[in-house]
Amino acid sequence: MSLVAYMADNAGRLLFLTQQHIELVLISVAISAVVGIGLALLTQSSPRLRHGLLSLTGTLLTIPSFALFALMIPLLGLGVAPTIAALAVYGVFPILRNTVTGIEGVDPAIVEAARGLGMSAGRRMRTVVLPLAWPVILNGIRTATIMLVATAAIGAVVRGPGLGELIFRGLERIGGANALEEVLSGVIGVMLVALVLDLLFIVIAKITALRGLNV
Amino acid sequence: MSERPTPSPDAMIFLDGVSKRYPGQEKAAVSELSMEIKRGEFVVLVGPSGCGKTTTLRMINRLVEPTQGRIFIDGKDVTHADVDRLRRGIGYVIQQIGLLPHLTIADNIALVPKMLGVKKSERRQRAEELLEMVGLDPATYAGRYPRQLSGGQQQRVGVARALAADPPVMLMDEPFGAVDPIARKKLQMEFLRLQGRIHKTIVMVTHDIDEALRLGDRIAIFDPGSRLAQFDTPLAILSNPADDFVRDFVGSGAPVRRLSLLKVSDVIASSASDAPGTLNAIPVDAGETVHRALELVLTARAEGIEVCVPGGGSRYLDLQALLTAAAQPTKVLS
Repeated sequence: MSLVAYMADNAGRLLFLTQQHIELVLISVAISAVVGIGLALLTQSSPRLRHGLLSLTGTLLTIPSFALFALMIPLLGLGVAPTIAALAVYGVFPILRNTVTGIEGVDPAIVEAARGLGMSAGRRMRTVVLPLAWPVILNGIRTATIMLVATAAIGAVVRGPGLGELIFRGLERIGGANALEEVLSGVIGVMLVALVLDLLFIVIAKITALRGLNV
Repeated sequence: MSERPTPSPDAMIFLDGVSKRYPGQEKAAVSELSMEIKRGEFVVLVGPSGCGKTTTLRMINRLVEPTQGRIFIDGKDVTHADVDRLRRGIGYVIQQIGLLPHLTIADNIALVPKMLGVKKSERRQRAEELLEMVGLDPATYAGRYPRQLSGGQQQRVGVARALAADPPVMLMDEPFGAVDPIARKKLQMEFLRLQGRIHKTIVMVTHDIDEALRLGDRIAIFDPGSRLAQFDTPLAILSNPADDFVRDFVGSGAPVRRLSLLKVSDVIASSASDAPGTLNAIPVDAGETVHRALELVLTARAEGIEVCVPGGGSRYLDLQALLTAAAQPTKVLS
């Protein structure tokens, strides 16, 4: 049976798993974004704590994903919860790092002028710093998303949802009927999801681009 | 404890013994400085870098919090007032301008009115008025973004933004420092003309003594030890420098520079010569500067000037008498 025929036969299931995969990544990235941006804002007045957090979240990224998923089992059992938790942990670093870089990259003269005009700290952050840092922050979210699309496939080891199931099941019975086709459709699916989400971010970047910056 | 001084009624800004000491630094950035700036006065703080002039300026709107002393604005002690509200009532212009690049020129100008809750249509109208005031056509510039403007144009917008809520006080930190020399002189002159209309109380920092002499009603010269070496009118500083530092700082051209600040009316009283007759004199208004009078004499190849004095009649000064009179510093103090 050819790959194309396999995919056509299993279209319903493939689509379902793809959709699951996308949802899984988007939910995890959303959590990572809230945590990453939140940590960057909370550590605004304490650069040492901030750089400590950057090291810590960077270190978490070096834990092999297979191991991290497995480590989640005693805490959260099997299924969706441990998968999302592990993915969210991975996603924090690129978002935190880019948020910090973005905020630090805002021209101090602009912030100083805003302060001199009597703009409160909260308002300065909301209307000056975050909008100007946004393109860099968004890029961090994009990096995290692409990274998580690939990592999410490993989530199948804890019975996580998504396309990883195809890959792991296929590999377990490799040599069997349609095993290779199953693995390949999983891999292709992951690649397509990555591509589509990447395009989505390009569109978001275009829509949210600030006027006046590229003139 | 002795009675603490209070500002006089015509003082707009009053610094009472303010000091700024940064932790870990032995020497205070500003130490025990007291200064009174009158309503509508244009005061320039000048001195070498590190002399505390910028720190002093930034203590007025408390971008730098004084470690000691009190600050009064318009008779009110604002040393512990709400900073954001305080700053909204004080115009602030910096060298780097700091326009928000993602807002249009009109929105940049309307920032403070917006924070003060002014309605959108009124904000828009105010922004257009101010653009007009600083010499930029509202129809062309209101909708543009800062990066579409030249440095000089951006600086005008910076001034318009500082004026948006019509604050009585303006603080300017080297406002013309980043524009090229030709544009700078033009901006300075335009700004003087604007000030002639709006009569704000202005405190400006510069390291350029020429700019200080050109713009200030009074000049505060700080020495490298952060001491206020002299605080007086440009003419008085050129005529009677308080010490060697001020003399050095003002530079060697002081006697010639004085000529642009002295008025003919300042010198005619001290001149002995009022002999008319054979002198080939050209008429000069008493309000002209001595510099201008000399220019007129030299251009006309005349020998002296004829000045109408109040109460009828006129006085004559030959070139020598004019220069002798202009060289007498004592006259200025009367």
